[in-house]
Amino acid sequence: MVAENSTPHLHSAVEPRQTLRRRLDIIARAAMPSLFIVLVAILLSAPFGIPGQSELQFGIAMCTVWFWAFSRPRSMPAWAVFLCGLSVEVFSFGPPGAVLLSLLVIYGVAHHWRYGLSRLGFVSCWLIFSFFAALASFFQWALVCIHAFALLSPAPGLFQAALTIGIYPSLTALFVWGRRTFANPDQA
Amino acid sequence: MFSIHTRQVLARAALPILILLAVALVLLGLVRRPVVDGVRLRATDILAPAYQALVYPQTRVQEWLVDLRGATDLAKENVSLRDENRALRHWYDVAVALAAENARLKNSLHWIPESAPQYVTGRVTRDDGGPYSRAVLLDVGSGHQVHTGDVALDSAGLLGRVTEIGPHTVRVLLINDDASRIPVTLSGSHGDAIMAGDDTDNPRLIYYPQDHHPVEGERVETRGQSTMPAGLPIGTVHYLAPNRPVVMPDADLRRLDIVRVFDYGEDGGQAPDAPGRVKVRRPSEEPSLPGGLPFPKLPGMPETLGKGGQ
Repeated sequence: MVAENSTPHLHSAVEPRQTLRRRLDIIARAAMPSLFIVLVAILLSAPFGIPGQSELQFGIAMCTVWFWAFSRPRSMPAWAVFLCGLSVEVFSFGPPGAVLLSLLVIYGVAHHWRYGLSRLGFVSCWLIFSFFAALASFFQWALVCIHAFALLSPAPGLFQAALTIGIYPSLTALFVWGRRTFANPDQA
Repeated sequence: MFSIHTRQVLARAALPILILLAVALVLLGLVRRPVVDGVRLRATDILAPAYQALVYPQTRVQEWLVDLRGATDLAKENVSLRDENRALRHWYDVAVALAAENARLKNSLHWIPESAPQYVTGRVTRDDGGPYSRAVLLDVGSGHQVHTGDVALDSAGLLGRVTEIGPHTVRVLLINDDASRIPVTLSGSHGDAIMAGDDTDNPRLIYYPQDHHPVEGERVETRGQSTMPAGLPIGTVHYLAPNRPVVMPDADLRRLDIVRVFDYGEDGGQAPDAPGRVKVRRPSEEPSLPGGLPFPKLPGMPETLGKGGQ
């Protein structure tokens, strides 16, 4: 993994001019991860009838925040995580605040350990992410139990955690490619 | 605008402040859940046309697939349809005879006809259950008269009850949600029970009489309490394991499309006032003696005594 500012400024004197179009391009590329979360939240709230649709909504948001928070924090600032979390909250019907708090906590962890995580291999990152994804699912389950005043079956929470952990590798492949190409503000 | 030091402080303080806001949202959800659900319903109202547009290709493809499957299997389907038609004709005759007999019996019993319930029909906008609940949102259009507690049915049987109401959309809590508890009657054994959802496809039957267990395969109907009338079909009893009766719902809870919401009125089964309860009158309300005193006013008598005679 490579930390932020992966593209070195070799010839700063010959940088292209800061036209309006270029600025918009930079903003759009930097906002790509956040837009991805919001779009996925809206898409997965539509009645497609896909099994595990709402679990996928949570899982994709978690993976995206985790990856971009340590890989390129400039594309995923804290307020953007907050807004993304709010949009996921609006387009889902789980216990209020659970997804938002989980996203902020996982952002805090990834952002705080970003230098260490950038040096670690993929599998180690995945394992650490798995632990926090399971923790977030457990937290959500506990909140639902408090809401219902009953001990509910933890099976949906386990399924959600497994799905979140399972989609991480494929999403990482997409994000690594995106970080080099369409979501790279340095290439604007 | 800000100095570097201020910006660093702000950057460090941002995450804790946002986490505090998230905790506030969690607490708001615990204390005032309807506020949050109201915002979610409004968002769904706004996006309802977009959802229909998103799902349109999927529904078209499914229709084509059904047509294609029918076209490739025409001969076999014709045979099965003829058989089914024959059976249905028999049942149609039986139904007509029974309806006529029922009308005659009701007429001779001076049966008071039940009022026809108001209903609206809506399409399922989205399934908004999440991992821990089973609910759907219905698009019922603007100016609807749906109330909380109204009953949702599809063509086969009971689906659930309305829990939240938005300007165009209503939320229906399905009968298999963990929070759903519906009083039911078992048509064969005439026992009562509570049908409790547990987030699986088959709600459980609980609180049935221990000397009167539900019988495998018997029909389950609503008992008729609060806003729910008696006799709405729900499903059949099935034993998943010994002493674990569940209901196999008639309605297909996984694939809901067109749903009707019935308003059976608020006064379902309210008892009249208890007999023999006499309203207590205060002494000031005591009526005066009719006709007053039977003799004329005597000199020296107080004014109040002679009042009735005037």
